[in-house]
Amino acid sequence: MRRFSISPPVAAILLAIVLFLLSGFLPNGFGNDINVAIAQATNIVRLAVFLGVIAAGQTLVIISGFEGIDLSAGSVVTLTAILTYVTVKGEDDKVLLALLISLSVGALIGFINGLGITFLKISPFVMTLGMSGVVTGLIIIINHGNVSGKVAPIMTRLIARPLSPDIPIPNAIIIWIIFGFLMWLLLERSTFGKHLFAIGVNRVTAKLSGVNVTATNLAVYSLASALAGFGGFLVVGNTGVVFIALGQPFLFPSIAAVAVGGTLLSGGKGSYWGTMAGAIVLTLITSLLTTMQMPDSVRRMVLGATLLVMISIYGRQRGFRQ
Amino acid sequence: MSVSLSARNIVKRYGGVVALSDGNLDVKSGEVVALIGANGSGKSTMSKVINGVVVLDGGQLLLDDKPVRFSSPQAARKMGIATVFQELSLVAKMTVADNIWLTREPLKPNGMIDRKVMREQTEALLDLFSGTFKADLRPETIVSDLHPDEKQIVEILKAISLNPRILILDEATASLDSRQVERLFELVRRWKEEGKAIVFVSHRMEEIFRIADRYSVLRNGKTVGQGDIKEITEKDLIQLMTEKEKVFQFTKAIASEETSGLDQQVYLEVENLTTETLRGISLKVKQGELLGIGGLQGQGQRDLLLALFGDIPYHGTVRIKGEVVRFKHPRQAMDKKLALVPGDRAREGLLYIRSILENFLLPSWRKYGFPLKMKLAKRDAMAISERLSLVMSGLMAPVSSLSGGNAQKVVIGKWLLRDPDCYLLDDPTKGVDVNTKAEFYALLTDLSRQGKSILFYSSDDDELIGLCDRVIVLHDGKIRAELKGASLTKENLIAASMGVSNGGEA
Repeated sequence: MRRFSISPPVAAILLAIVLFLLSGFLPNGFGNDINVAIAQATNIVRLAVFLGVIAAGQTLVIISGFEGIDLSAGSVVTLTAILTYVTVKGEDDKVLLALLISLSVGALIGFINGLGITFLKISPFVMTLGMSGVVTGLIIIINHGNVSGKVAPIMTRLIARPLSPDIPIPNAIIIWIIFGFLMWLLLERSTFGKHLFAIGVNRVTAKLSGVNVTATNLAVYSLASALAGFGGFLVVGNTGVVFIALGQPFLFPSIAAVAVGGTLLSGGKGSYWGTMAGAIVLTLITSLLTTMQMPDSVRRMVLGATLLVMISIYGRQRGFRQ
Repeated sequence: MSVSLSARNIVKRYGGVVALSDGNLDVKSGEVVALIGANGSGKSTMSKVINGVVVLDGGQLLLDDKPVRFSSPQAARKMGIATVFQELSLVAKMTVADNIWLTREPLKPNGMIDRKVMREQTEALLDLFSGTFKADLRPETIVSDLHPDEKQIVEILKAISLNPRILILDEATASLDSRQVERLFELVRRWKEEGKAIVFVSHRMEEIFRIADRYSVLRNGKTVGQGDIKEITEKDLIQLMTEKEKVFQFTKAIASEETSGLDQQVYLEVENLTTETLRGISLKVKQGELLGIGGLQGQGQRDLLLALFGDIPYHGTVRIKGEVVRFKHPRQAMDKKLALVPGDRAREGLLYIRSILENFLLPSWRKYGFPLKMKLAKRDAMAISERLSLVMSGLMAPVSSLSGGNAQKVVIGKWLLRDPDCYLLDDPTKGVDVNTKAEFYALLTDLSRQGKSILFYSSDDDELIGLCDRVIVLHDGKIRAELKGASLTKENLIAASMGVSNGGEA
């Protein structure tokens, strides 16, 4: 006898679809105009891309286990967004350089996180929270006397616009799909990914099976912050402006997206597809509540409640499978 | 205060495993009874039954000739039974005084803890052992800062602070030095005169003869002999501990004639290996040899295997095929074609929530390139699971869905996939069903026929005698005896594990 059980990413996507269809009945919803509906859906997915990319790094550190979390992700997003902004200065040929800077500054910050966690045995929560403070301080120093810069036209075209006028799919979504495939390759089809899951479940077993736990841990924190850095690059390409509080609002949704996507917060089990679905669900709920003109306080409450409900459902499923 | 405790026909099962089938023990005021037995004979279960840690399934406990039933250690403690545990029961981050008086702190009239009284009482207790430990053992010292011997002393003081009528010393001397043991024995004699009854569990034969008045021998869950210690010799005690009937028919890997030949190359050579628990181990393993490691549990067998595999640091020299190696990480040992099956499969050998496939391939993923060749990986894993006749619902099922024996097959299977030259096995048949055991024996024999070197630690003496050509017996971190050929008997094995010399060719 097989109990009805459904994998978390599928559950999250189903939830998103149901919510979206229900939203059609709202007074200012899409009603029965299919074109408007598609346009709205596309827009929500496009908005989810930024959260989704920032949550990719979060997915990796959470899978790595042992209370793995990256609380510095938000401030890294702000920092690399500002760095991109001042590096590019509206010139197309500086974009690649800006991307490189974003990735390596992110990786460096993550590497320091990893050093503290691995060698000084500071808990990931404290280490990355402290790092978030340091990075915010850095941002203020850089920002002192205003930032002058500009996003390059090519960035706006690549990130915010559709592929071509005939195909109304924004490039951001295409970037995200490719990104999702690369994340799948990393997690499911690379030695690194397999070792990552292993250290998330049991580090003694991992070490005794030849996994270099220290190196894997350092790599995962570096990579996570590099991905947050990539997120910052994408965000500024979309908004076109930078400000000190740009990245911070992404931090808690990035953790929530991972959880809603069914990744075990204790580590060792999860997927990036789940996180993508989680990012879509969270973005959808936020935008629905905004359309319904709910105040920020209500939005926060609904998001928090959704997270609790989803996680408790997954918990129960695991319960009766054992 | 006179007291007597009798355990009659005690039965205790853990799941399907019978730990005690007929355990008996009598102890009364003013005497020390030694509880003796080989590995797995049930002596630790017996002491747990008496102090209420486990609830018995059958039989009777009589305290002062009245039947009693302990539902918890607290219940036993209320009746005046205290235990000095071998696996320490102290809270590491609390002070010595806090630990000793935990839940029984002396209080001031206003309900606050009276630190001054607690300190004085702790100092009075520490005075019992004064002069045998360093000055850093004070009532306010944090327990985690103490040495193992000092922790053991605190453990003893904690038990005696309850002023018990019956005191159980479960391997309490294992980490004490000789002066401390001497002092403990003086105290035991004093407690005896005060009318306490004492149960002494130890694996040191010499201590048993020094302190015990009577003995009770367990074998395979049954009490097989009780009596006055003056009326028995060391040799007879060992005879009693020795199992007569054998469960398995073993086939030895290679006729000993062949192995002892000079043509077999030495694969692994260890000289003066020293770690925290090992005190200078030297040994040689030839190609195709199945070398047994025996001895009671926790005599350094685990450290020996882990040190060879590069998991813990050591002093000394290790040579593989004549070349000096010094592994700092298991990865390096694996690259030299070593494999380790660790002793605790749940905590050290498996990724419980991951699939069988991933568990099989964990040490080998690097071989499968990028992107990983999953079809090939599945085929390889399938071949191994067929070779081991693994009972599973599929390769993608989590390891947690497997039975104990099948889970252990996965731990061994992940190494078979790499085809190592040398296997280090830490009690691989522990908690494994009889059929799977038989399959393991066949596998080990097969591997050594293929020329693989195997270091095989087992807590089951029959296995060692049945499978190995040569067995080294560890005691207190040293090789106490090397048994082979005619000297490889159960009597000699047990004698050597109990630290009795002349138990074989040293």
